[in-house]
Amino acid sequence: MTSTRTSILAATSLVGLISLTACGSGSASVGSGSDSGSGGGSFEPKGNVTMVVPFGAGGGSDASGRAIAAGLEKAQPGLKINTENREGGSGAVGYSYFMSKQGNPNFLLPAETALLALPISTNVKFDYTTFTPIMKVGDDYTLAVVEASSPWKTCTDVINAAKTGKVVAAVSGATSLDKVVFSLTEQATGVKFDQVPFESGDEVLAALLGKQIQIASLNPGEVVEQLKAGKLRALCSFSDERYEYPELKDIPTAKEQGVDVSYAQFRGLIAPGKLKDAEKQYWIDASKKFVESDDAKKYIADNYLQPNALFGDDFTAYLKSNSEDLKKALGK
Amino acid sequence: MIDNLLLGFSTALTPENLLWCFVGVLAGTIIGLLPGLGSTTGVAVLLPLTLAFEPVTALIMLAGIYYGAQYGGTITSVLISTPGEASSVVTTLDGYQMARKGRAGAALAIAAIGSFVAAIFSLIVLMAIAPPFAQFALKFGPIENLAIMILGLATIVSFSGDSKLRGFAMAVLGLLLATVGLDAATGTARFTGDNVNLFSGIPFVEVMIGLFAVGEVMYQLRIGAAEPIRARFRDLVITKSELRRSVGPIGRGSVIGFLLGCLPGAGSTLASFIAYGVEKRVSPHKDEFGKGAIEGVAAPESANNAAANANFVPTLTLGIPGGGTTAVLLGAFTIYGLQPGPLLFESQPDLVWGLLVSFFIGNVMLLVLNLPLAPLFAQMLRIPYVYLYPLILFTSFVGAYSIDNNMFSVWVVFFSGVAGYLMKLYGLPMAPLVLGLVIGPLFEKALTQTSALGDGNLLVIFTRPIAVVVLALAVLLAAGPSLASRLRRRRLPTA
Repeated sequence: MTSTRTSILAATSLVGLISLTACGSGSASVGSGSDSGSGGGSFEPKGNVTMVVPFGAGGGSDASGRAIAAGLEKAQPGLKINTENREGGSGAVGYSYFMSKQGNPNFLLPAETALLALPISTNVKFDYTTFTPIMKVGDDYTLAVVEASSPWKTCTDVINAAKTGKVVAAVSGATSLDKVVFSLTEQATGVKFDQVPFESGDEVLAALLGKQIQIASLNPGEVVEQLKAGKLRALCSFSDERYEYPELKDIPTAKEQGVDVSYAQFRGLIAPGKLKDAEKQYWIDASKKFVESDDAKKYIADNYLQPNALFGDDFTAYLKSNSEDLKKALGK
Repeated sequence: MIDNLLLGFSTALTPENLLWCFVGVLAGTIIGLLPGLGSTTGVAVLLPLTLAFEPVTALIMLAGIYYGAQYGGTITSVLISTPGEASSVVTTLDGYQMARKGRAGAALAIAAIGSFVAAIFSLIVLMAIAPPFAQFALKFGPIENLAIMILGLATIVSFSGDSKLRGFAMAVLGLLLATVGLDAATGTARFTGDNVNLFSGIPFVEVMIGLFAVGEVMYQLRIGAAEPIRARFRDLVITKSELRRSVGPIGRGSVIGFLLGCLPGAGSTLASFIAYGVEKRVSPHKDEFGKGAIEGVAAPESANNAAANANFVPTLTLGIPGGGTTAVLLGAFTIYGLQPGPLLFESQPDLVWGLLVSFFIGNVMLLVLNLPLAPLFAQMLRIPYVYLYPLILFTSFVGAYSIDNNMFSVWVVFFSGVAGYLMKLYGLPMAPLVLGLVIGPLFEKALTQTSALGDGNLLVIFTRPIAVVVLALAVLLAAGPSLASRLRRRRLPTA
C-alpha cells in the first residue's frame, strides 16, 4: 500500500503535469554544447538533458528511451533527463529533429533499426553517420510463429510447404524486422512467401490468432504470453544462438533447421553528430555504468532481448555492417 | 460470476482505489476537454506518476483517464464546436447547433446519460462474454475490415447535408488527402515534397481542430453573430420528450459501438460516424439532423463510449490493444510486471475484476459529475464573444503544438482553419471530409491486404460470409432512404 504522503505528492504533481502537457512542455534544455567542454578535458552536461523518442508513447522505442534515461540518471548522480516523444513518419520526424541538434551534447535518442532502414527506404537527409553512436544495449530477434492448429512443426516444414504451395506471411511494415527476416529467408532458400502488409506487430498477432495469415515473425516479447497459453507455437528463432530464457530455450534456431538466417533489431543510444571527444566519452562512460546496473538487466529481461552491448566506435562498426545487410535484404 | 464480481468490488471499493479512480476520471475529463490533448497522450504522460502505486490502483486511475476523456471530449464539441477527441467530431454536427439554440445543457446531459448507459451496457457484456467475443472478433481479418470500411463510407450520405454531390466531393477530397505520406506496404513517400512532417500523413487531429474550431470562429466573425447565448436556466435542463427521443439512439449507439470496439484497430471514431449514419436513416426526425437533433448527440456519444469500453475486450483477453490508448495501457501492464494475454483472467482475477468493477464506479462518478455540471458548463456560452473567441483560438493553437511539440501542427491548424472558413462560406459539408480522412488509411490498408490475400482479386470479399453481411448493411445504409420512404408511404394509409 502506498503511503498518504506519496498520494498527496502524486496528486500535486498530477495537477502540475496536466497543465504542463496542456501548454506543450516543449524542450526544456538549457545547456548548449558549443561552449561547454571546450577545454577538451572533462565534460558534464549543464542543465537538463532531453531524450528524444522518435515514436509514440507506449511503444518499444519509448520503453527503451525511458529505461535508458532512468538508468543513466541513476548512474550519474545529478543528471536530469526529460523524455520527449516526437513521433511521425515511421520515426523520420524524430530523427530529423534530432539532426537539428548537431553539436549539442544535451540531447540523446534511443535508436533502433529505423535509423538504418529510413535512409534506405525513403528520402531522408540523415543516416547513421550523421549522429554519434554511443551504445548498443541488446538485440531483439524474432521467432517464427504459427497458430496452434497449424500443421507445421519446424521452419523446414514451412519452407517445404512454400516450395509446392502458398504460404501467407504477415509483415508489419515496409522496412520492419519481419519484412527483413522473410526477405532474407526467401533469398537463402529460393522460396517465395505471399507477404501481406500490416502496420504493427499487434495487428499481425491478431491476424495470426484469427488464422487470417499462416505465419508471422515476431519479437519474443510480443508472443511469449500467447506461447505460454498454447495459442501460438514457435517454430524457430532467427538468431545466431538459442535464447537462454527458460520459456524460450527449447526453440531451435533457424540455422539448426537448415535455414541460415539471423537478423536482429538493435536497441541502443545515439547522441547528435559533431560532438567533442570529451562529450562523446562522457556518454559512453555513463552508458557503461548503465549496462552494468540492475535496471539495464531488468529492461533486457522484461523485453526478452539478448544482451550484446557495444559502445562508441564498436557500435559504429556494427551499424555499418548491419546497414549493408539491410540494403541487401531489402534489395536496394 | 458472482464470486468474481464480489472479488472485484472488494478490490475496487478500498478508499485508496476509490480516490484514485476519482482522480483518474476527473483528470480524464479535463484532458478530454483540451483540444489536441487526447486520452492517449494523457495516459502516457501521467503513467510515470503511478509507478509508486499498487498495480491495480495505477491501472484503475489510468483507465479512468481513458474513459473520463470520452466524457470531456463532448463538452467543447457541443459548446464551441471544438472536438476534444477525434471520436467527438460527429457530436459537433448537432450538439453545436443545439447549443446555438440555447439547448447546450440538454445536449451535454444527454451525452452524459448516453455515455453512461453505453458504458454500463458494454461493461455487462464485457464481463459476461468477453472471451468468446474476443474469439469472434478475431474472425474479422483484412477482408472483413474492408467490408467495414465500405460500411463506414456508406454513411457519407448521412453527412452530406442538402447536397449529396457536395458531400461525395468532400469525402473524395478527404480520401485523396489521406494518401499523403509513407505507403504502408512499400515505404514509398507519396506527395510529401520530402517534408518529413508529412511522412505520417496529414495529421488528423490538427485538421479537425482547424476546420471546426478556427474555421467556426472566423465564420462567426464574418457573419457578425456576436450575441452571447442567453438561455434561461429552465431551458438548460433536459426535457422528458428529449429523453424519450434518445432512448432508441442510445440503445443502437451502444450496440454499434460495442461491436466495432471489439475489433482491434477499428476504434471509437468510426463507431461514432456509423452510429450517427444509422440514426439518420431510422429516425422519424430526419429533417432535424444537422440542425440540432438530440438523436445526433445521443447516438454518437453512446457509440464512442461503448467502443472505448469494448476496446478492453481484445486488450484484456488477447493482449492485443483495441486502440491507441489501450496500447499505452497495455504498456503500463508490462511496467507493473503483468502480462496481458490469454492467461490474465486466470492468473490475476483480483486485478482484472477489480479493474472492471472500477469502470462501473468510475462511470457513476462521471455521471454524477457531468449531469449537474451540464447546465453550468452551458453558462460558459454567456461569456461575450470578445473573450470567448480569443480563448478558443488560443486553446486551439496551443493544443495543436502540444500534440507533438512541433510548429508544423500549428501551421496545419492555421491552414485547415482557413479551409474550414471557406468551406462554411460556400456551404461545403466538413464531416464527409473528416470521414474520408479517418477512413482513408484504414480503407487503403484493408484494400492492399485483401488484394494480397486474394492474389490480386478483390472479389474474394464475396467468399467471406461476415464480409457479405456487412456489405449488405452498407447497401441498406446507403440506399436505405429511398427504401425506407417507399416502405413508409405504403404503411401510412393504413396507420
